[in-house]
Amino acid sequence: MANLKNIQRQIKSVSNTQKTTRAMKLVSTAKLRRAEELAKRSRLFSNKINQVIAEIAGRIKCHNVNGIGNRSFSKIENPKMIDIVFVTADKGLCGGFNIQTIKAVNKLLAQYAGKQVKIRLRGVGKKGIEYFRFKGIELFDEVKDLSSKPDLERSNKYIATSIRDFNDGITDGLYIVYNGYKNVITQELHVNQILPLDVDQFECKEVVKESLLEVEAYNQEVMLSSLVNKYVENNMYYALIDSVAAEHSARMQAMDAATNNAKQMVKTLNVQYNKARQAAITTELIEIISGVESMK
Amino acid sequence: MDTFKLEILTPNGAIFMGNVISVTLPGEEGEFGVMAHHASLTTLLQAGVIDLSTDHNTLESVAVNWGVVQVDESKVVVLVDGAVSIKGESESEIAKALAEAKKLIEDVSDSSVAIASVSAKLENAAQRLI
Repeated sequence: MANLKNIQRQIKSVSNTQKTTRAMKLVSTAKLRRAEELAKRSRLFSNKINQVIAEIAGRIKCHNVNGIGNRSFSKIENPKMIDIVFVTADKGLCGGFNIQTIKAVNKLLAQYAGKQVKIRLRGVGKKGIEYFRFKGIELFDEVKDLSSKPDLERSNKYIATSIRDFNDGITDGLYIVYNGYKNVITQELHVNQILPLDVDQFECKEVVKESLLEVEAYNQEVMLSSLVNKYVENNMYYALIDSVAAEHSARMQAMDAATNNAKQMVKTLNVQYNKARQAAITTELIEIISGVESMK
Repeated sequence: MDTFKLEILTPNGAIFMGNVISVTLPGEEGEFGVMAHHASLTTLLQAGVIDLSTDHNTLESVAVNWGVVQVDESKVVVLVDGAVSIKGESESEIAKALAEAKKLIEDVSDSSVAIASVSAKLENAAQRLI
């Protein structure tokens, strides 16, 4: 009989877990809808600013423009120090979402480990920070609460350090690593090299060759650097927004899977329970019958 | 009259997307107007007001705080940090938009002359609507 009670307790506990995971899934679905909307809206801007930068970089390549003072457009040989900003979630229970980002960061670290490059890791999001702290890998700075609530002002302030250090020549590169949203069921890992802009990677379009782009500014350097700043800021902000959307979609999926698993488990436990109950009844019957038999 | 495509985008979404006849932008070097088939041009914008006309009779105004504009032969893309469109169904909505726009400009600009001139422009735009 003890066995029966045990199974009953287990069934109750599993179905309680199932209730929780289902609730979490519903919450994530609702949050995802909002995050997705936001990501969609800011994607327009993000795509456009990347295009503008790409066009300028493309023109620089096509026309072999030299003498641009801005470091962002020049290739840096032998980088000494590189900034890596990674964005993870503040909360877990979202499947492989965080670990994928962490793996990508590790890969990047390994890539630079052989070379004489110092890496400055900047962490956004509790989960990633906890991982690297546990591993004993030093982080340059840590920010929590930013990846769950993206805020343009805070994000700009945060990335400003990287931009300033790059312009001052302290760092020679900037990577942003995050897990982005692709659609409701897939996330897409992004390892973006933001600075310096690799001019070589941009195409030299035919149209560009023919028309001239007039840069109408009293001080073109100021304009370029202002544009690049905005470009980096936007990439950071977009990474945060995209990451939130991806986090919710990952959690939704993970919780859906958990709910299904719990359902399956309750089913098997029920079968077990019924079997045990049958067995108990059978033994009881046998006991009664044999008792009656022995009275005869 | 030829029209061209104009897009005004902020990090939080598009403010305007559509065909216009002309647009006046508050460039860093001074205000300039763009009509269809303008030569390629890239420049920064300062805090100010973008005036755009979708047809001959209407003039819409959008207040912006920072931006970059890219003009090419077929379209104009304006990327701005923050923008408030001066429009609304009722007088109170317009007044609200106006107050928001003024705040946007005051937050970035520190010269009172600039604020005053932009504010005057915004008031004008609002007056037209009421």
